Amino acid sequence: MLGLEGMESSDAALVARVLHGDVNAYGELVSRYRDRYARYAVHMLGNREDAEEALQDAFTRAYRSLARCEDPERFGAWLFRILVNRCRTSGARRVRRGQTFVHDEGALMNASQEHPAEQTMWREEIERAVGELSPDQREAFLLKYVEELGYDEMSEITGVGVSALKMRVMRACDRLRTLLREVHSG
Amino acid sequence: MADWGRTTLELIVEELQQPVKLDASFERRVMVRVRRLYAAQRKHRGRWFGAAAAIVERPAWAAALAAGVVAIATIGILRVRPWADRAVAANGREPVQFVLVAPAAHSVAVVGDFNNWGLGDSALVATNHQGVWSVTAAVPAGVHRYAFVVNGKQWVADPTAPRSSGDDFGMPSSALVVEDSIK
Amino acid sequence: MSNRKTRSLMLVVGLAASVATAGAQDPRAGLKLDATTSAAIRAVVDSAKAQGIPVEPLMEKMYEGLGKGADGPRIVAAVRSLAAEMASAHRALGTVASADEIKAGASAVHAGVPAVELGKMKKQSGLRRSLTLPFTVLADIVSRGVPVSTAANAIRALVGAGAKDKEINEFQRNVKVDIEQGAPPAAAAETRAKGATPSAKPDGGSEIDG
Repeated sequence: MLGLEGMESSDAALVARVLHGDVNAYGELVSRYRDRYARYAVHMLGNREDAEEALQDAFTRAYRSLARCEDPERFGAWLFRILVNRCRTSGARRVRRGQTFVHDEGALMNASQEHPAEQTMWREEIERAVGELSPDQREAFLLKYVEELGYDEMSEITGVGVSALKMRVMRACDRLRTLLREVHSG
Repeated sequence: MADWGRTTLELIVEELQQPVKLDASFERRVMVRVRRLYAAQRKHRGRWFGAAAAIVERPAWAAALAAGVVAIATIGILRVRPWADRAVAANGREPVQFVLVAPAAHSVAVVGDFNNWGLGDSALVATNHQGVWSVTAAVPAGVHRYAFVVNGKQWVADPTAPRSSGDDFGMPSSALVVEDSIK
Repeated sequence: MSNRKTRSLMLVVGLAASVATAGAQDPRAGLKLDATTSAAIRAVVDSAKAQGIPVEPLMEKMYEGLGKGADGPRIVAAVRSLAAEMASAHRALGTVASADEIKAGASAVHAGVPAVELGKMKKQSGLRRSLTLPFTVLADIVSRGVPVSTAANAIRALVGAGAKDKEINEFQRNVKVDIEQGAPPAAAAETRAKGATPSAKPDGGSEIDG
């Protein structure tokens, strides 16, 4: 029996439904994008709590401004732009509060119990190294390599020029190489 | 790019690309906030709709209001609100006219992914005007596949539309891209 | 269409979950697939969901097969093929591609356009515009005989020059008519792309055309 729980409406159709008063349709958009963008938020902010808060905030802001989404077909990209900005604000707030970047315990707990211990340690090293990057470099590195965006897209999302983004990505890679080599040689 | 072994970068990216699962209550928490916003929006709009509803319940008031509205409309002060325009393209669907020139046909229907390919008698039946068959339907914004079915059995692609690529089960289909006018 | 009702496939698809989700009666209620076909399609759908690929087009393909009277194995093959093409398009287009772009990109892949070409166009256009219609037109002109590289170059040039969907639609119609009138497909596409590019300047008295 083929149930239709897998049926999905396009983003544009869901946005239209929300704008016509079907608030439940927004739940489908939330469910569609929450995991995809949670990954970016967790790596960017370094802990699950802040990441969830930033993502909740992004979804709420997106709902409030939904009528201003110029291309509902690209709701996901528009939402991502909002999230990137929220992560910047959240990160800046943490710096002002004097907190340091803490690696994500939740990500470690997510690791399968079947993974060897070395795999978990490697992940922890990576998370720590990413946390050591400056926010600008971390953002650029995650957008480029983890989210696999092109530089033009990154420029649209961040408002930063392509040359500057390329420089940030290059420096991020250099820094990560240094940090991870130190770990392995130490 | 730094002289970094691609393998190392690939391993790092592979780890960072592992999916992150949020707590199951995340969606509920977001929707609580969203529903509060929705309720606040309705309350704000409802002050106007509520007043109109109250007036409808009182015929005398309704008559007075109707006269007033006619007067205002005539004067031209009252403008149609944008929401009324949005309601025309209901639920993200846009009107699309399908036309097939088939003078010898006895019947022409339009079937596609927007009407379940005619299953459950959902085919759009076209009307004939001197051999020019046409039907207009509300189609959701997005990219679609469709075809004409002539005389109940012959599948015909739309000669005026781009071909739809993809397995068509041996029966041709056409492609349709509908833009959402609400932007 | 009534002949299809005599086919051996059982045609009732359960809707409980979708009704609960959609909150409305789905007109496709009353259709069922045989167990083997259903299981095979379910596996494809689950795999697609895990990869973040839109599932609706796969369901539409299934219903297209049902509507056209195809048998179970044929439907499964078509759904699998589409899933693979969408996966290819999704990888090339990246995270921010819309569901419609992935769907249209899959049609271009099916027509023979390498997914990497789609990725190049996406990088070029970024978030500025949707590539749903350009990909659809790309698939169409390739299916009419325009070589893949010529077609991809033409569409990329149009998109890069800021051509709107309306202009790209017109380009497709003109290429189609030219080919129907006997023009070599490559020549038709190259000529029309040159003329359709918004920044195209008038020829300086070229005697090559015509």
